[in-house]
Amino acid sequence: MEYLQTGKIKQQAPNHKPSVSGQTGFPSPATHYLEPSIDLNKELILHKDATFYVRVSGDGWSEFSILDKDVLIIDKALRPKPGNLVLIVQQGMFKVMRFSLKNQGSSFIVWGTVTYVIHYSL
Amino acid sequence: MIAMVDCNSFYASCEQVFRPDLWGKPVVVLSNNDGCIIAANKEAKAMTHIAMFEPMFKIKDQLIKNKVTFFSSNYTLYGEMSQRVMNILETFSPNVEVYSIDEAFIDLTGIVHTPLKQYATRIKDTVYLHTGVPVGVGIAPTKVLAKLANKISKKVEKFNYVCVIDTDEKRIKALKWAQTKDVWGLGKKHQARLKKIGVFTAYEFTQLPLAWVRKEMTVVGERLWRELRGESCIEFRNMPKSKKAIGTSKSFGKKLEDLPRIEEACAYYISEVAEVLRAQKSCATYIQVFVTTNRYSNADKQYSNSCTITIGVPTNSTFVLTQQARKALQKIYKPGYRYKKVGVNLTGLIPQEFVQGNLFENTTLYNKRLMHVIDTLNHKFGKATVGSALVGTRVEQWELVKKDRSNRYTTQWHELLELKNK
Repeated sequence: MEYLQTGKIKQQAPNHKPSVSGQTGFPSPATHYLEPSIDLNKELILHKDATFYVRVSGDGWSEFSILDKDVLIIDKALRPKPGNLVLIVQQGMFKVMRFSLKNQGSSFIVWGTVTYVIHYSL
Repeated sequence: MIAMVDCNSFYASCEQVFRPDLWGKPVVVLSNNDGCIIAANKEAKAMTHIAMFEPMFKIKDQLIKNKVTFFSSNYTLYGEMSQRVMNILETFSPNVEVYSIDEAFIDLTGIVHTPLKQYATRIKDTVYLHTGVPVGVGIAPTKVLAKLANKISKKVEKFNYVCVIDTDEKRIKALKWAQTKDVWGLGKKHQARLKKIGVFTAYEFTQLPLAWVRKEMTVVGERLWRELRGESCIEFRNMPKSKKAIGTSKSFGKKLEDLPRIEEACAYYISEVAEVLRAQKSCATYIQVFVTTNRYSNADKQYSNSCTITIGVPTNSTFVLTQQARKALQKIYKPGYRYKKVGVNLTGLIPQEFVQGNLFENTTLYNKRLMHVIDTLNHKFGKATVGSALVGTRVEQWELVKKDRSNRYTTQWHELLELKNK
């Protein structure tokens, strides 16, 4: 058995934030239901110290729905599963590809697993 | 048991994480102002025909000819990568002593569920997997031995960056391998003295009588002697020691002649050191300012001088320190020279709660809350967002040259690693 993380307790219930209402009139009915706002660092990042952001330039990876100027969130700690998008290094060059067990024999090194693609759509 | 984890040619490794085209190739990192090489990876060190310690202008052509890639130092990147490495190490033990930007001691007391060699390998593999930074791990009963084990892990190929000294037999083998220069904390002077009496290896050193070591090498030597014999006497420190003095001096990007610009640079350095001072909650009693011309230049007239001022009531206020530094600078500045460098040193540091007031000193500029606001703003919006007006706006006229600095990949949204695929 392999322990990936020890000494850390996964949070079950959402953070509860007791607070005194700042309203001067009727006390807020939400007083006992307050929770912190959504924090993308918490939602999108599994391993903070192993996460890197990279920006794509050009539409060469549109087959993976990755377009020009998109930012990829890369997690180096994850071991990719077949079907995952991965950032690899082949002959000294970065490349994005879909990981599969078939191409394991070919000579490349997985730099990290793409966990999210941030696409600017304005 | 104690583990010493040390990143392999850390600065070069940080650069290489983001540059796979340079994997397995020689890489060096230059000092501030691109003056000389301060770090080289294994491949660059192997090029022994290049005098790596010579000033950059002498060897630049050779580096280019030999396809050595050089980077200006990018301390923002190295500092952030270091933080990642240290955070990961903290998942292996509750007791980690960060010793420098690229090394840490880990207390392995209580790690009984995994054989030490396996644990060390896991540390090495995890740091590499998560950050891309390769490390070596040495494990031994004392800090000095752990440091030695670390060295062996890197120098002796068969260890493959993991070395555990957990028996007396292995300890003696390691000591016999180690020259006196391989022992952590054994200075050049002591090495020479030991050589004179025919002591060349760490093992021979540990065979000397304790009385001799104590007499000739003081308590420092005694500690090394004991540690090498497996008796732990250097304690674990979780908290960094407060600094006793804080200073900075950097060469200008080009030589400066006029006082205002030197004042601006000086004020900028003051704002840097005052920030550190406040971060460790200290106040400075003395401030020293020095200027110097380029002593390597035959064409320039030479001059250097320094001035120390006692501050009435010790402070960590950027404004008070800037004022005093300016006074000192005006005292030592002489027109007609081409200055290369200005530096400041704050000494006589005391904890801020021990500062004694003085009835006759005006301390209105000591405003703590203002300093707190300035620090918070600069932390949030970037270095030197707000500060003393004396710093001015002509930073680029004296700033260090950092021509070949890589991107700050991990801290600046606009400097992310770019993947091109047109």
